[in-house]
Amino acid sequence: MASINTGFSKELTKFGAFDFNACYNCGTCTAVCSLSTGEDSFPREMIRYSVLGLEDDIKASLKPWLCYYCGECTTHCPQEADPGELMMSLRRWLTSVYDWTGLSGLLYRSLTASIIAMTLTALAVIAYAVVTNFDLEKIMHTGHIFEMVVIGTVFTVILLPNLLRMWNFIILKPGIKVPFKNYVTGLRDLVVHMFTQKRTLGCDDSQVRWFEHLILVFGYLGLLFTTVFLNWFSSESTFVIVLGYVVSIIIFTVTVIFVSERIRKRREMSKKSQPSDWMFVVWLFMMGLSAFAVRLFIDLGILQNNIWLYLAHMIILVQWALVIVPFGKWTHFLYRSFAMYFDAIKKN
Amino acid sequence: MAENIKTANYDALVIGAGIAGGEAALNLANNGFSVLLVEKDLSIGGKMILLSKVFPTLDCAACITTPKMSEISRHHGITIFTGSEVQKVVKKSENSFEAVVIKQPRYVVEDDCTACQLCEQACPVVVKDQYQYNLVGRKAAFIPFSIASPRVAAIDIENCTLCGACEKVCPTKCIDFTMEAEEYHITAGAVIVATGFRLFDPLKIPRYGYGQYKNVLTSMEMERQLAPTRPFNTVLRPGDGKVPDKIAYVLCTGSRDATVGNPICSQICCMYSIKQAQLLMGSLPMADVTIYYINIRSFGKGFEEFYEQAKGMGVNFIKGKIGKITEKENGNLILRYEDINENKLKESEHDMVVLSVGVLPNTDAAGIFREQKLEFDHLNFVGQKDPLASPAETNIKGVFVAGTASGPMDIPDSILSAGAASSEAMRYLIRK
Repeated sequence: MASINTGFSKELTKFGAFDFNACYNCGTCTAVCSLSTGEDSFPREMIRYSVLGLEDDIKASLKPWLCYYCGECTTHCPQEADPGELMMSLRRWLTSVYDWTGLSGLLYRSLTASIIAMTLTALAVIAYAVVTNFDLEKIMHTGHIFEMVVIGTVFTVILLPNLLRMWNFIILKPGIKVPFKNYVTGLRDLVVHMFTQKRTLGCDDSQVRWFEHLILVFGYLGLLFTTVFLNWFSSESTFVIVLGYVVSIIIFTVTVIFVSERIRKRREMSKKSQPSDWMFVVWLFMMGLSAFAVRLFIDLGILQNNIWLYLAHMIILVQWALVIVPFGKWTHFLYRSFAMYFDAIKKN
Repeated sequence: MAENIKTANYDALVIGAGIAGGEAALNLANNGFSVLLVEKDLSIGGKMILLSKVFPTLDCAACITTPKMSEISRHHGITIFTGSEVQKVVKKSENSFEAVVIKQPRYVVEDDCTACQLCEQACPVVVKDQYQYNLVGRKAAFIPFSIASPRVAAIDIENCTLCGACEKVCPTKCIDFTMEAEEYHITAGAVIVATGFRLFDPLKIPRYGYGQYKNVLTSMEMERQLAPTRPFNTVLRPGDGKVPDKIAYVLCTGSRDATVGNPICSQICCMYSIKQAQLLMGSLPMADVTIYYINIRSFGKGFEEFYEQAKGMGVNFIKGKIGKITEKENGNLILRYEDINENKLKESEHDMVVLSVGVLPNTDAAGIFREQKLEFDHLNFVGQKDPLASPAETNIKGVFVAGTASGPMDIPDSILSAGAASSEAMRYLIRK
């Protein structure tokens, strides 16, 4: 027997949720949703859980991750309870629940905390530059090492345990028996959804949204690969240099589209932006642009006289790697694809 | 026209001759007050006279309305203007309102017409019959409907070709194409606003496919198919004339829905849908009827029993609002909804869908009160100064509101409201 927890509504509003208590359970949202099925009917059930504060049921559910926010539910909700934004807020909340450090929750709930985190990381980079007496070569070398170390650390210390916690909430705690074989066969779904986000194509709205996102994902992964493994900034190979330029251009052009969508607020999904949403797209944009500029300055031979540019790039990079990736919106890349993985292994 | 202005004096002016306006006029007249009853339409009786039966008693609506309407028509104290509109009302002083009423030409001399229908037979023009909610056609020279009051022909001049065929056959020579609009300057001691309501237009919800899918109709269209004066003498789906055997009702179409600007409950749709479902079970005993609802609001006297009776008769009730309707090639419709009791998205197939459309305010009265404006509430119904203590009073002293002009209500409540409005008006008139 579950007990009602009315405080949960209040908690959820800190993650962006709207007036979902207005819901009168007509089910229009579920009926107009193009991803909802007889087996997985949402979002109304999630609204009901949220109103009642059934946190354990929400934690055990994959439904928030099965929604790709086309916004039809919000457009047609007769009570204007904004189910689409509730699902988005549940994803933010779940992100904070999965995170063992608790920092995700802190950053989602408090803009001040986010600003402090961003400031501290920036100051740390500047302090390091002062210590090295603004030795560009040394800073760049450290930058490259930093990337590799942080990727490994963030993944093993933060993200992997968080994924295990997600697995615990979804499979272990509810006592779902999954044969080991499924964990192997399900990997196919994991990879497919991680790299294609093909579920978005089931949404009734424009498929341009899926395409833009797909390009951005590949641009981002491309930049990660080029800078970390191909060492773009020190590379002599024309292929690597050109590749780096291409992927960084992709990142900052596509993010411009994303930012302008959030400013124009035409689609339901871009009408309500939380600081975490802004941070994610803006930092991605700045990262693409600054990386592009750094390499351009190297090719023009003027980086030596413009160390500030590399420092700016490094600040953005450190903030990205230490704040946004482990504790911010970046994690949806993992949680969304692992949700599809868990969904597949549960159902097979 | 200016030189033909006619003047007249009444104790009360009643705007709208539906069941509320008619009842109010009758009360006033029975108490010795003279009443001018102004109706925009060609017949008095409003929407009620077009209904099949009434809930929860299943009494024949026409059988209740028609005697009342004849009583109104025959009453010495009541003057009826049909096809007329009140253009403006100005309050001169207490107990003195000046109104301008425009009577549109009917092109038939009312007193001479015998309703023989020869003109109707002779007329070559066929257009959609608005009194049968466009289910069938009518002529341009026509009697509005069989139980219309006055039962007098009219010429639909917009569609008339002026061929003169009706004029030739009319035995009493009462058709007169030279008629013009008449202007009346009326003085009255009190005014009752009984302008009624409008039905929600389901074209505003494109995902229900009304107007696009032939077998999706409104509850008023279904009401006509079930009425004693119904066009087909059975229930047929409009797409191909098939007798339907799986009928769905979509409750809260345009009610309790902020996205279409009408966030409130219309109060009548649950009950009229349950009524229609029962009537359908009577007229099509083999048919399945399913009502999709958010909540069944059976709050009135005898309503809950009526709902239970429908369940007992085998009407299916499913909790879940219809989200989307799609049409199959054979004209059947697929309804997508969440079964709330099972938390499950479902689809079901029906061969006919009835949209239980809601009640919207009629804002016609908004512009007519000059100088002192009539106030409306936030939903555009006529504002009640004190809904609890004195529900018929408006912001203008001497102007009263009756029936659905003040908000959604059913027939018994409309009649009660008309009673309240007429007695408040009498008190106001006597006090002078």
